[in-house]
Amino acid sequence: MRRREFLKLAATSATGAVLFTGCGSIGDANPEHEFKIESPVRNPNDLLYGRDNWYATATPLSIGGYGIIVRVFEGRAKKVEGNPDFPVNLGRSCAKAQALVQEVYHPDRIGGPLRLAGQRGSGQFQVIEWEEALGQVADLIRQAPDSTLLITEPLNGALGAIVEQFVQTTGIQHASLEPDERVVLREAMRRVFGVDTLPTLDLANARFLVSFSADFLHTWISPVQFARAYGAFRQGRPDVRGTYYHVGPRLSGTAANADRWFPVRPGAEGLVALSMAQVMLEEGLVEGDGAEPFFQAIGLTPEQLGADFAPDRVADAAGLTAEQIRELAHAFAEQRPSVAIAGTSAAATTNGLFNLAAVFGLNYLVGSVNSEGGLILNPASPLPDELPANRGGDPYSQWVNIAQQIAGGQIRTVLVHRANPVYSLPPASGIQDALRGAGSVVSFSSFLDETTMLADLVLPDHTALEQWGLVVPEPGPGFEIVAIQQPVVNPFVNTRAFGDVLIQIASQLGQALPWPSQEAAVRALADGLRGLGRGNVEAEQPSEYFVTMQTQGGWWDEEARAEEASPQAPTAPANPEFAGDPGQFPFYLLPFPSDSLGYGEFSHLPWLQALPEPVSTNVWGTWIELNPRTAQDIGVETGDVVRVVTPQGSAELPVYVNPAAMPDVLSVPMGQGHKAYGRYAEGRGVNPLELVAPQAERETGALAWAATRCRLELTGRRMRIARFEGQFPAFQLEEFPIIQVTRPRT
Amino acid sequence: MQRYFRLVLFAAVMLVVLAIPVAAVLARSYFLAPTAQPVKAQPIQFPHQVHVQGMGLDCTFCHRGATTSAQATIPALEFCMNCHKIVPWEGRPDLERLVEAFQSGQTIQWNKVHQLPDHVHFVHAVHLNFGFQCADCHGDVGSMGKPGVKQVRDLRMGDCLTCHQQNGARTDCSVCHY
Repeated sequence: MRRREFLKLAATSATGAVLFTGCGSIGDANPEHEFKIESPVRNPNDLLYGRDNWYATATPLSIGGYGIIVRVFEGRAKKVEGNPDFPVNLGRSCAKAQALVQEVYHPDRIGGPLRLAGQRGSGQFQVIEWEEALGQVADLIRQAPDSTLLITEPLNGALGAIVEQFVQTTGIQHASLEPDERVVLREAMRRVFGVDTLPTLDLANARFLVSFSADFLHTWISPVQFARAYGAFRQGRPDVRGTYYHVGPRLSGTAANADRWFPVRPGAEGLVALSMAQVMLEEGLVEGDGAEPFFQAIGLTPEQLGADFAPDRVADAAGLTAEQIRELAHAFAEQRPSVAIAGTSAAATTNGLFNLAAVFGLNYLVGSVNSEGGLILNPASPLPDELPANRGGDPYSQWVNIAQQIAGGQIRTVLVHRANPVYSLPPASGIQDALRGAGSVVSFSSFLDETTMLADLVLPDHTALEQWGLVVPEPGPGFEIVAIQQPVVNPFVNTRAFGDVLIQIASQLGQALPWPSQEAAVRALADGLRGLGRGNVEAEQPSEYFVTMQTQGGWWDEEARAEEASPQAPTAPANPEFAGDPGQFPFYLLPFPSDSLGYGEFSHLPWLQALPEPVSTNVWGTWIELNPRTAQDIGVETGDVVRVVTPQGSAELPVYVNPAAMPDVLSVPMGQGHKAYGRYAEGRGVNPLELVAPQAERETGALAWAATRCRLELTGRRMRIARFEGQFPAFQLEEFPIIQVTRPRT
Repeated sequence: MQRYFRLVLFAAVMLVVLAIPVAAVLARSYFLAPTAQPVKAQPIQFPHQVHVQGMGLDCTFCHRGATTSAQATIPALEFCMNCHKIVPWEGRPDLERLVEAFQSGQTIQWNKVHQLPDHVHFVHAVHLNFGFQCADCHGDVGSMGKPGVKQVRDLRMGDCLTCHQQNGARTDCSVCHY
């Protein structure tokens, strides 16, 4: 090679090499996705940093419909607190409201519409599309609207309005399911005071409270409202500490707060109340002309009261001494303002309505009806036509009818929303067999509870924190009030609001409801409140009005109170009747609603399962409470498994020896014994409703779940009860003296 | 003279020939520098200006990983929709694209502006916790509107090393190459 050729070649190759690399871009060898960065569609669960927001909304009506605020962080609901502005609870909340966040993110939540894919009850479902599900429900209703039944929990406000419109336009039937003692209480309110609403208490100004079995700090109608008021009653005034006596067969968590507990026989509450009235009338302790409405309420003459209800005559039947009854009467009459309430098991006996009428009637005698420090009646909904007030539940006797109609084929399609009749009604009602054989069952539940397990179609509803609503709190704070519910988070799974589903089904049936969606209904009805021109929300423009209402959590008008009440119908005295021969079944079986699980509607939430029952500290199970002497007599101790036998059936339960139990009263908590309803509820404990005889309250037809006798049989087995108290020996701390609880010296 | 003419010509040709690759290398370095690149086309012309200057959002409001992890992270569409569900989008093509992508469950593939080779590890959190601002490396992104973000700092190894030396940070290889 000559020099010239070498130089040419060298120059060409060097230039070529440089140009070759220079023409490309950096990193040509890398795959294309290396140069991309992706925005995912959904927020990842592990976002690291951000700020929280608090949104005001309301609890569902089954927890009272009061105002809450929810902490939302990265699009997730994290914590529930009471809304400090909301008059019903003034910043307080209850464990059930706290656990609402667990419902949203529950691992067993139904993720979208389902269709039965196997035998009914097999729990085998296949996922379908919403349009298909809606079309199928519309077809079912179109085929036979007359023989279609919609079962809901008691509804009011916006959802109540939508359901009412849907029922009217489609012509289907509607029934609502609520705990039977509420049915009795509503009837008592109607008869004794002439109102359709549940009452509240002005405890902050009262000096004396007597509760007849009403577990008002834990389960009775509005525990959040009453617990806050109870704090003011006891400690809110510098010079007065309210006195509280409890009369009832069980020392509940509420009764344990009382200054005195008067254990009476189950169902004898009304008898004690009449006897107290007799003492007050005889000794001239009655306020003004309060005797007149009292006698109207109980349908007796003063002579009959004096002849049959003197303390000496009723003491034995009530299980108290005559002196104790006089003491109660004096305390009630002399420490005014005083107030008397009754509920829980007092309403769940065959004479429940009489018990409630007699006790609530006592308030007339001391002038405590709708007065400061007394029983405050609630007004109806502020817009009675547009925002329906609570419809109330149907009594047990009606459910037996419904079960027969389903079994007989008069009702072919059953739609169920937020009610679980298979669990909540005793097996003797026949509802389970009826639904198993029903033409079609459609559930709107978010969980596979016992009723949803029998469904052909499941169209899951949003949870409370994901939907719009207007709720009239039940009971209210004594004046007109509406809580607004707004979605604080986006729907977590593929669910649709029940109201939206009804509106869409109606439009498929060619019968449009007045609103295009549940949200539109809420907005329209809230604007109706603006039309009233009163209340806490001050804004001219509709949008501003709505936003102000959202931030405050609702609408209320403290001036709009219930008018004076008067008795509408008398309730004659009656004695309780118990299923079971006393010789064969020596004990009273006293189920009681669990303070955390209620009647079993909250058993799917682990926070509530793990919340100790206040007296025994037991969790995650069912037990039976025995007096120590009774336990000694039959030779059992805490942890021994006994068989509880009633005329209706039997169940095996561990014994919990409770020094505060009455010797012949055996208490069993409700709420467990689910056969479905998710991993935390299923297969745990016993449902006492399977043990109680299907006794009905004599006037209302409600289930008297505290009217069954039982006996115990030994099994020889033992099991550990999960509980906090007594698991470890107590030890002495230097700075704390030991307090010994002893019997009072007689 | 004629005898030397050929030598001079050879040297001149040689100089020209050798200058071509040198010039090419210099030109490549200049024209292909990250800061010299045109603004990359993006599936949505996201205006940082509106969100930062207009709305007053902090960078970390959306880039939530920046203070706590290696990546600053790009927000999810659901996160955008927290606000954009109430911002009208009709007739605004970029917003329509966002809402459509979210509703149809499609992710958005952005073109990376600040591209580090994968043999370099850069940890956002360490630099922010030391006291640097986002703008120290990314420039005033908050004032960049449409069509999108431009890289304003070289951010190649020389840049990294210079900054590490100036701030007394370690400069051994394993600081970044591990």
